[in-house]
Amino acid sequence: MVNEMKVAFATEEKNGLDSIVSTKFGRVAYFVIVELDNDKKIKDNYIIVNPGGEARSGAAIKAVQKLLEEKVAVVVAGAFGPNALVALDEMNIKHIVLSGVKVSEALGQITDKL
Amino acid sequence: MIEIAVASGKGGVGKSTVSTSIAIYLSRRKRNVVAIDADADAANFHLILGEDRWDWKKSYSDSMIAKIIEEKCIKCGNCLGKCSYKAIYIDERGNYRINPILCEGCLTCTLVCPVRGAIVREKVESGKLYRVNTKYGFPLISASLNPGRPNSGKLVTEEKELAKEIAEDDSIIIIDSAAGIGCQVVSSLAGANMVILVAEPTPASFNAIKRVHVLTKHFMQPVALVINKYDINLQMSDTLEDFAQENNIDLLGKIPYDESIPKSMASRVPVIELFPNSPAAKALINISAKVEYIIDNWYEWFIGHRPKKPEPYKPIIIKPAS
Repeated sequence: MVNEMKVAFATEEKNGLDSIVSTKFGRVAYFVIVELDNDKKIKDNYIIVNPGGEARSGAAIKAVQKLLEEKVAVVVAGAFGPNALVALDEMNIKHIVLSGVKVSEALGQITDKL
Repeated sequence: MIEIAVASGKGGVGKSTVSTSIAIYLSRRKRNVVAIDADADAANFHLILGEDRWDWKKSYSDSMIAKIIEEKCIKCGNCLGKCSYKAIYIDERGNYRINPILCEGCLTCTLVCPVRGAIVREKVESGKLYRVNTKYGFPLISASLNPGRPNSGKLVTEEKELAKEIAEDDSIIIIDSAAGIGCQVVSSLAGANMVILVAEPTPASFNAIKRVHVLTKHFMQPVALVINKYDINLQMSDTLEDFAQENNIDLLGKIPYDESIPKSMASRVPVIELFPNSPAAKALINISAKVEYIIDNWYEWFIGHRPKKPEPYKPIIIKPAS
């Protein structure tokens, strides 16, 4: 069974796995995308710019669109707005509320929820 | 760092009076305060504080509008009738021009233009961000909008980022949000640790409070309530109190109707400075002292007043028929 998945973390920094998870989702600057293998071990990670960060309106929708293009299964941020939740639900992207810790630590805290 | 958002849903019920009073009180008590005026459509924090100058300002841009390149335009007139905002006109020299105030940046004109590159996108200044170290000892972040440019959640987010740059670990950030529950209010509330709702005893205000309350439940935020001018309708004021009790909202206090508030606004000195012994100022000082107590006993208060279960708010979506 193939069980590889991508997890996105909302962040304001470009420090890879050391970036702090932000409280924002739609208007956050970047997403750190972590690729996990079958055993939920980190295979790879990269950073993408969130198009919602520069949007005047509809920020969350643009962010969800980008995550969808990246085939992300789970997203982690401190808070999700009303529109964000609807879009994530529609697209079957799971959301986890967590912020203020490094991506690597956050990953440790959420592995059992994946 | 603790973020307190002040919201009301309805305009003109006393958000700015309450937030300026709390900011001044906490600053007097030697707390680190950073204030944000998140209502760029009608920024008034600086007006209440009597600040006329800014220490710093920055141009802010969030939108693109169309621009016609004169040399490339063949004056075919295709774009003229297609602009639904009627932003395209012909000037006295016969050239096609775009009125930057009317243009919404939909770029329909670029689709009907037969010449490549004759109509381009251009970034336009939406407004300005400001900062001033106020005479009451705390910095204020504010913003203004240019005519025709809408307020946005992005502007509020930028203001919050500016505040966080100058804030320290023990800072208290006070966000005076806009009226309504739109994009800029969602951005004001998102990430706030506590929301103070300001209401007056009128059906319109009560209805507005209920709407903002739905938003706070979505964000799982603990909520406090201030009833302004409570004595103009005691029965309605009781209804507001009941609503607070039913929903585990902490009633911080009730401010009586007091002419010292409009008088202090007219003289541009906050009421707790100008008429410290007036009934309204006394109530505002009590409310601010309660806020300070909450900050000092944060964990306890947070556990006691945060919503017990998440209640995500889902807007109604109308899907196209398949």
